[in-house]
Amino acid sequence: MRAIGALAMLAAVGCGAPEGGETLQARLSLVETLAGTDTVGYARALEPRAFDFPVDHGPHPAFRTEWWYVTGNLTSEAGREFGFQFTIFRNALSPTAPESPSAWATNQAYMGHFTVTDVEGRRFYAYERFARGAVGLAGAQAEPLRVWLEDWTLEAAAPQAFPLRLEARDDDVALRLDLAAGKPSVLQGDRGLSQKGPEPGNASYYYAHTRLPASGTLAVGGDTLRVTGTAWLDREWSTSALSEGQVGWDWFALQLDDGWDLMIYRLRRADGSADALSDGVLVDPDGVRVPLDWGADVTMEPTGSWTSPIDGAVYPSGWHITVPGRGWDLTVEPRLSNQELDVSFRYWEGAVAVGGVGEGGAVVAGSGYVELTGYAGEPTRP
Amino acid sequence: MKLLTKASLRYLRQHVMQLVLSVLGVALGVAVVLSIDLATESARTGFRISAETVSGRATHQITSDVAPIDERLLARLRTELGIRESAPVVEGFGSSPLLPGQALRILGIDPFSEGPFRPFVVGGGLGVDVADFVTSRRGIIMSQTMATRAGLAVGDSLPVLVGGQAWSLPVVGTVDPTDALARAGLSDVLLMDIAGAQEVLDLVGGLTRVDLRLPEGAAGEGMEMAIRERLAPGASLLAAGTRTDAMGGMIDAFDVNLTALSLLALIFGMFLIYNAVTFSVVQRRQLLGRLRAIGVTRPEILRLILWEAAWIGTAGAALGVVSGLVLARGLVRLVTRTINDLYFSVSVESVPVEPVLLVKAAALGVGATLLAALPPALEAAGANPRVAALRSVIESRARRMVPRAAALGVLSVAVGWLVLEFSSRSLAVSFAGLFFVIAGLALVTPAGALILVRISRPLLEAVGGTLGLIASRGVVSALSRTAPAIAALVVAVSVTVGLGVMIQSFRGTLERWLDGTLRADIYVSLPGATATRAAGTLWPDLLDTFVAHPDVVGHSTYRGVDLLEEVGGYRLVALDLDPRGEQAFDFMEGDAAGIMQRFTAAEGVIVSEPFAFRRGSSRGDLVTIPTPAGEQSLEVLGVFYDYGSDQGAVMMTRALYDRFFDDPGVTSLALFVGPGVDSEAVVRDLLGQVSAGRTVIARTNDSLRTASLEVFDRTFRVTAVLRFLAFIVAFVGVLSALMALELERSRELGVMRAWGLTPGQLWRLVLTQTGLMGLVSGVLAVPMGIVLSIVMIFVVNKRAFGWTLQMQIGPEILLQAVGLALVGALTAGIYPAWRMARTRPALALRGE
Amino acid sequence: MTLPERTLGPNLELIDLAKSYREGDRLHTVLDGATAKIAGGERVAILGPSGSGKSTLLNLISGTDLPDAGTVRVGGVDVPALTEHERTLFRRKHVGFVFQFFNLLPTLTVLENLLLPLELTGSRDPANEARALGLLERVGLADRSESFPDRLSGGEQQRIALARALVHRPGLLLADEPTGNLDQDLAEQVGELLEELASSHGTTLVVVTHSRELAARMDRTLRVDHGRLVEAAR
Repeated sequence: MRAIGALAMLAAVGCGAPEGGETLQARLSLVETLAGTDTVGYARALEPRAFDFPVDHGPHPAFRTEWWYVTGNLTSEAGREFGFQFTIFRNALSPTAPESPSAWATNQAYMGHFTVTDVEGRRFYAYERFARGAVGLAGAQAEPLRVWLEDWTLEAAAPQAFPLRLEARDDDVALRLDLAAGKPSVLQGDRGLSQKGPEPGNASYYYAHTRLPASGTLAVGGDTLRVTGTAWLDREWSTSALSEGQVGWDWFALQLDDGWDLMIYRLRRADGSADALSDGVLVDPDGVRVPLDWGADVTMEPTGSWTSPIDGAVYPSGWHITVPGRGWDLTVEPRLSNQELDVSFRYWEGAVAVGGVGEGGAVVAGSGYVELTGYAGEPTRP
Repeated sequence: MKLLTKASLRYLRQHVMQLVLSVLGVALGVAVVLSIDLATESARTGFRISAETVSGRATHQITSDVAPIDERLLARLRTELGIRESAPVVEGFGSSPLLPGQALRILGIDPFSEGPFRPFVVGGGLGVDVADFVTSRRGIIMSQTMATRAGLAVGDSLPVLVGGQAWSLPVVGTVDPTDALARAGLSDVLLMDIAGAQEVLDLVGGLTRVDLRLPEGAAGEGMEMAIRERLAPGASLLAAGTRTDAMGGMIDAFDVNLTALSLLALIFGMFLIYNAVTFSVVQRRQLLGRLRAIGVTRPEILRLILWEAAWIGTAGAALGVVSGLVLARGLVRLVTRTINDLYFSVSVESVPVEPVLLVKAAALGVGATLLAALPPALEAAGANPRVAALRSVIESRARRMVPRAAALGVLSVAVGWLVLEFSSRSLAVSFAGLFFVIAGLALVTPAGALILVRISRPLLEAVGGTLGLIASRGVVSALSRTAPAIAALVVAVSVTVGLGVMIQSFRGTLERWLDGTLRADIYVSLPGATATRAAGTLWPDLLDTFVAHPDVVGHSTYRGVDLLEEVGGYRLVALDLDPRGEQAFDFMEGDAAGIMQRFTAAEGVIVSEPFAFRRGSSRGDLVTIPTPAGEQSLEVLGVFYDYGSDQGAVMMTRALYDRFFDDPGVTSLALFVGPGVDSEAVVRDLLGQVSAGRTVIARTNDSLRTASLEVFDRTFRVTAVLRFLAFIVAFVGVLSALMALELERSRELGVMRAWGLTPGQLWRLVLTQTGLMGLVSGVLAVPMGIVLSIVMIFVVNKRAFGWTLQMQIGPEILLQAVGLALVGALTAGIYPAWRMARTRPALALRGE
Repeated sequence: MTLPERTLGPNLELIDLAKSYREGDRLHTVLDGATAKIAGGERVAILGPSGSGKSTLLNLISGTDLPDAGTVRVGGVDVPALTEHERTLFRRKHVGFVFQFFNLLPTLTVLENLLLPLELTGSRDPANEARALGLLERVGLADRSESFPDRLSGGEQQRIALARALVHRPGLLLADEPTGNLDQDLAEQVGELLEELASSHGTTLVVVTHSRELAARMDRTLRVDHGRLVEAAR
């Protein structure tokens, strides 16, 4: 799901006013910009559509927001465990590009988030950056696939997109991964139309590659390590998504050793209850999609909590997830409790370890990523 | 209250007029110094704040004067070098009919890059939609203050003229900074998205500069090296502030000049205080002697006098600070106007009340008063009551001093001259030399005055009879009193003469230069251009149309590019000269025809006198010019006189320029019309062919000449104001000195009245005497003023600005000087004469 | 050198003179109905305690001050009735002054001090200097003509002042405490000189003094008593 993109960019570009203490109150705020709710003139996700790859790997600039979202768990040759998140958000500032002789003129803005979780070192590195989609600073293209924000890139190493090459670096943290297509893409929701709110159009087009065998190098804490692991790619574009009363969500992307993958999200309402449009899906080892009906087919309960040292926000930490119809009973634990991104829009997104009973009553282990929004100080909707 | 203080207070109360004039003198001196200080400081601060605001928190900047920076550099910096803290800037100037007289700084930025640099861009407030800012075509954000002044609100459009092209820029937002610094920094800024700014400033594809934040230490140095490797020739990576400093340095000479002039005013003030205190001491000699007799110690007397001076100084300083603040408000307009005309765009919102400057000025006032009071106070304290009371001793001592003072004066002038001759180019040292010369001349004055008085005796006798003689004798016999007064008046008047001659010479030189330089009949340029600031290029199609006009028989084109180096700025000029315009240059040395022949053959460049002066280069030397094709070393074929800019110019032929620069632009165009053609009519014709939305300025030779002289006059208005203020201070000084002098003679005049001096004769006597002193001073001030103007023209000005001026002395300035001195002195005589004529002799005789 | 021909000075009539000074809120009356007649060439001393109005009387006679009431006639001329200008010219021509504090101009030499009154009358006679030097000789200070007055002793200064008062041959010589500032011997000397010079010129002489010795040298003595002039017994 990961509507985090839209919301994170709402708060974006405050860019941690470096030396602080500025009294200057400028009536200019990118936060405000990106929070625009005006949908007039943009394309809407109203009905299922035919996906066309590799074209649909590329950008859909007529929609307000779009993202390329890669998360994964990695292990070094020596067995050190790491998590990573690499996301490039695209946001249209207006339905059409402004007319101008200048190459800088564009309506496309990009935001990137890049994190690395060093489980053994108990460190969480998070970076954020912005750029306009112009003059080579940032952009996205389909053929060959290339999505980039400065030197953070996700690009096709071959014409049919996969394998993908991911590169990102900031400070002393650098990640370079080759991502192979472990399973075919999965269309989420109704043939790729993922309804988020009851109103028509409050939906996104959403597909995922739930299992991407990954290998490459990771530089962190002064070491450069060869790493292998499993990654997950989410692709989603929309013009509007959330509705009144939805305050955040808990999103799970779990990859089990037996080849099964699970994705569920719970949309939380202001009163703490789960929205009826919460959803989930299982993907079998061959990539076949098994939809789950929230409430009937899947349960999710937090088992613990973690308090953010930044603002005292209390996040759930540790969950108990069951798929009663198939006998699944899983425990999900964060690999590191503090994986909160202290960026312009604060949220928790981190690597988790999974254990318990899986398909066919077998004992399974696995890993995954969990995203928790709407817990930090700011309301998720302005 | 201590009785001692009481005695002194009562004395002062009885001499209230003198007290008032003393306070006034200090106040004027302080006011002039402070106001000049404040005005130049405000201009500098305004410039610095806006420079800092627009460059934000950058540690380094990539700039290029010779060509815009390729916009693709930014992505290379970010992706290849990982320099994330880098922000592109497109900057230029425009104007708006809604904001008359204000240069608008168009600052094009990329809000996505701004976080680390200009917090006001993304400072977390609510309001303006960045989407509108980025996606609205040519949308601007302006300060609320400016919007209010222009009568605009969000949603309206601001008409803006940039390089002759009219634009209508929609206001998408306003900023209302709460902190004064940011408010000042943004006071002239139109914030635009970089895309719009590129379009409006005609810089599509290019950047004016890139702001960077580089880490310190080895990492940063490594980055600097890596960046330099990627820079196009002509572009440079500089520490932030380097450029601002270099630009700010352009006004140093101007600033030093003003400051020196303001100090001059204070020196007059000191003369005045010295006079006032001397008189108050002299007049109280008896009182002081009696005080000593009843056991008041010398230190107590010294303290008493200095204490009085301190009070006068404090009162004067306080008054001076207040009036200085008022005066500064007027002066700052003149100063910023000049800076805008001659150097760079600066906007000053208000005159900040800089406590440091106020304290400095006040301290200067009090300090100067105490310093000036010290010699008479010491004399009073050191007085052996009996000997010191002997006027004849003082007078004969004074008379003996005259030749010594003159000798000392000659020495001082010589020292000053040597300092001027052998000092390097330091302006401060030059001014020190100038002050030596002035002091020396002041010391020679008494001797000169004695000689003049002696010479004038027969004339006075012929005109005024015995009274004339008495008056003349009074000047000589009371030399200890009259000499300082005359010296003060001479110095003051000679400075106004010196300044006057300098301004006149400057203007005359400029006029002659304009006559020689303006060879064409019609000049076409874009609005907003100044002597040191090009404002875009003319539209090629317009150029073609103009040149093709049937009455136009020839043309020259001119392309000016302003380059800024750490040693200062200069303008690089590409000339495409019509043969008719080839004689426009007046070379300092060498055969003009030969130089122009080599110039036309593109064998080198010619440079202006200020350029040659600043760089110490001369004919035959090589100059290095940064170009997009790399640095070029070119021979200086000749040095020509040029009064257009004190920053200097380097000229090459268009053909040579085109070899190095990919820049077909033309900054201005000179047209020659056929014989007998009415230039005015052609100008009207040409302007009629300019399409809507474009503005060009086409002027005939005459009107350009007039406009240039108007700029000159405007530039020198500050100097003229200072000259006037200096004269006012001098006038007050003379007034109080001569008045005190005459008042001191009350008793003497009373005796004469008793002997039969009629009131009418008394008037004549007093006025003849002060008038004589005025006349003597005026006459002495003329040669002194000329000496000063020689120093100012040939040394100070040359060092400050690098210009050779031809001296020109108009009789009106000299007559004015004599007249002013005479009127001032006569005015000074009025009150004492009136008072004495009214007093019954018996009363005057009663004395203290 | 010879002294010019002797002519008698003007007679004086003091008629009912009154003069008061305002001192803060108080009115201080110094003269009140002072009346006297002095013949031409007569030498009169006026005695009286300090502040009794002796000096005021002299000022009224010379016209350097004006009476509140009454009048002064000098040689028949009603002095207070003259304009300021006329009074000055009258003084210039007919009156000589000797002050208690000499009142020599410090910036002029002795000779110059003597020449000044002559120059004021506009006289450019080359004989002036000879005359001045002659007078200096008479007062015994011919050798000090180039000195500045403040280099001279008190007695010398007063002798210079005396010479100066007579240099333009006034008919009327007014002396205000001419010996008041001098010691006994010098006072004697100056008194003698005063008497001698006045009588040799036939000058009308009015001397204000409280020196009985000096008064004794005069033809007659008047006393200021409560604002009036009374004849003093000899």
